[in-house]
Amino acid sequence: MTGGGTTDLDPFRASVRDWCREHVPRTWRAAQTGVGDDEFVAFQQEWFAELRRAGWAVPHWPAEWGGGMTTAEQVVLYQELAAADAPRLVLAFVSIHHAASTLLAAGTDEQRRRHLPAILDGEIWCQGFSEPEAGSDLAALRATARREGDAYVVNGQKVWASGALHSDWCLLLVRTDPEAPKRKGISYLLMDMRSPGLDVRPITQATGEAHFCEIFMDDVVVPVANLVGVENAGWAVAQQTLGAERGMTMLELSERLGNAGFTWLVDACRAPRRDGQRPIDDPVVQDRLAALEIEVTALRGLCRDVVERHETGTVGPADASIVKLYYSEVLQRLMDFGAEVGGLPVHTVLQKPISSGWESGAWVLDFISSWEWTIPGGSSEIQRSIIGERGLGLPREPVAGS
Amino acid sequence: MSDDLSELHDELRSVARDLLARSGSGTAVAHGTAPASADWGLLARSGWTGLEVPDALAGSGATFAEVGVILEEMGRAATVSPYLGTVVLAAGALGLVGTSPLRDDLLQGIAAGELVVAVALADGALDHVDAVPPFRLEAGPEGPRVHGRADFVPDAADASDLLLVAKGLDGDPVLVHVPISTPGLDVVDQPVVDATRRLAAVSAVGVVPGEGAVLAFAGDPAHAAARLFDRAALAVACDSLGLARAMLDATVAYVAQRRQFDRAIGSFQAVKHACADMLVGITVVEELVRAATEAFVADTPGAAVAVSMAKARSSEVAVEVAGAAMQLHGGIGYTWEGGIHVHLKRAALDRSLFGSPTAHRRRVAAPHLARAGAAPG
Repeated sequence: MTGGGTTDLDPFRASVRDWCREHVPRTWRAAQTGVGDDEFVAFQQEWFAELRRAGWAVPHWPAEWGGGMTTAEQVVLYQELAAADAPRLVLAFVSIHHAASTLLAAGTDEQRRRHLPAILDGEIWCQGFSEPEAGSDLAALRATARREGDAYVVNGQKVWASGALHSDWCLLLVRTDPEAPKRKGISYLLMDMRSPGLDVRPITQATGEAHFCEIFMDDVVVPVANLVGVENAGWAVAQQTLGAERGMTMLELSERLGNAGFTWLVDACRAPRRDGQRPIDDPVVQDRLAALEIEVTALRGLCRDVVERHETGTVGPADASIVKLYYSEVLQRLMDFGAEVGGLPVHTVLQKPISSGWESGAWVLDFISSWEWTIPGGSSEIQRSIIGERGLGLPREPVAGS
Repeated sequence: MSDDLSELHDELRSVARDLLARSGSGTAVAHGTAPASADWGLLARSGWTGLEVPDALAGSGATFAEVGVILEEMGRAATVSPYLGTVVLAAGALGLVGTSPLRDDLLQGIAAGELVVAVALADGALDHVDAVPPFRLEAGPEGPRVHGRADFVPDAADASDLLLVAKGLDGDPVLVHVPISTPGLDVVDQPVVDATRRLAAVSAVGVVPGEGAVLAFAGDPAHAAARLFDRAALAVACDSLGLARAMLDATVAYVAQRRQFDRAIGSFQAVKHACADMLVGITVVEELVRAATEAFVADTPGAAVAVSMAKARSSEVAVEVAGAAMQLHGGIGYTWEGGIHVHLKRAALDRSLFGSPTAHRRRVAAPHLARAGAAPG
């Protein structure tokens, strides 16, 4: 299914395509290479506002909050945005996905009214889940919230909070009952990032960029009104939030990999070297390129299929893990091959554009940043265990926290 | 390898490991800061710059086997130094030409640690493994001139002297010595993602070689030029092996102490098996590198294929192992400060330096193609 088979979507597809032709900045990749944080934030906010004017910033939200697009239309939208190589909503990602799905699933009416319209106006959120000692074992988190009257007093450290430096709010997991078993003593809070007692420090990544941050919390006061769901039942809310990043966002990423990412790989294989030889003239290169095309094609199909399964309620218990694992590893293999087939000349590309996905044509850096997929959000090792246990019903590993 | 030699290598390795660790390079430095170079004077005083220089020229008359040990340890430490250009390639190239005052001066200077020399022996923008000289001598009314270009020449930007491999007037390859300030010679730094390597584009337009600067290879010139390329490829294979070992050691140490789910992550089969795969890969590469080194030093008929086997597999395994190291270090492995990226980037560069794995495998397969015409029995 490419969407082309359903004729009533054709006019919508054409309108998105026309819109892209007019609105996607032609040179955004060059303009977003080597720029500072301020320019990145300004560009992201501008692009978000542009999409909002078109009615496409939050297509997956319920109609009453400004969304309401059908799943089939969303698929078309993301396919066309990827085909046009539009910038990606990097800064607003947590806001429009995790924050929104948390508020919609478990927030109070007041919390929704306070934040959902604000997100549409550009309110930025980050996610304060991981900690130095709680990565794959997220439930081992140690940051604490102590109840004092109408507020929680929060202490501890979070890590890998993407975009925290630019965030207004934080989705925060904290331990509210230190005596309870790991998953039973966790609460979910909404933390104002302008609160006193917060210190946000960017982490320089392996690529040299610094999108992720550490958040240090020293007696930060969070009103009890900012509790999401029930005290000590935050783990279940977090599971819903984590689940929200599968489905459509994976479809968007797979479309981007299949469009710009794969196109550039073909270009790299076709580019003549100084002696006129092209890598693609080598049958070995043809074979590996074709093998990757098969994988990327399968990935895109799988993502569309899983989106439909979400729609029809037939999504399997391991589907999200299969998609995440497969995307991560195809991404890594593709970038690895790009770095190899490009030879030494591609090693001279020292910067990649921000505001993109994990494909930029800067092969060596893209290869390095592919570990941004195989490590976080449940590492590939964790995903394989989930697939074996939840997907295939194999016995659980002997230990594992409860 | 004899027991004596093996003992000597073990000792050399242990001294090198200690010294390179102390020299400070290879450790992650703040982003935007160039990593520190190893102390060149210290390397010279340790006798490493003169390993392959004859005794008579104040060297120690050793072979590539000893240089290979140093190279492995430099890979382990991700050392920043012009050792590859100066000691491995320049002294190695000068060992292939007939003796002359210039050649002896250069070798002495290298052994003493006074000279940094680079060799432009292949154009790194291409993916050739057949030792095509990137430069050529052209006859002219006022004598021969050198023309040509080679990209990604190791250590050229830091060198005082260059040795250009050129196609001579009679068609045989020769070595042309050119001081860096020679008119018509242009050396442009080519920064790469791997900050531990210094590569540069070398171009020559009508460069006039000085008196006695065109050095003829001793024996069969084509074979000598081919040996020089093999030396470069084998050097990279050694570097890759050393860095892979460093990544395995670091990973084993990390997963033994990092705890998640109330146990050391190294106790999980997924992690343990990944480490085991790293060790198996490295162990196999050790065999290939050892065999290639022995064949190269003895200049056996199978040396070129042995070198290609070592280079193809070593540089691939290094990328796999460094990648697995980043994976198994988890979040900390992806930070700049964690430093795994230094080795992963160097491994990725090594893979493309002096012939890709694909190009080297083609050279391994070539004898089978050549033989295919002859019908069996």
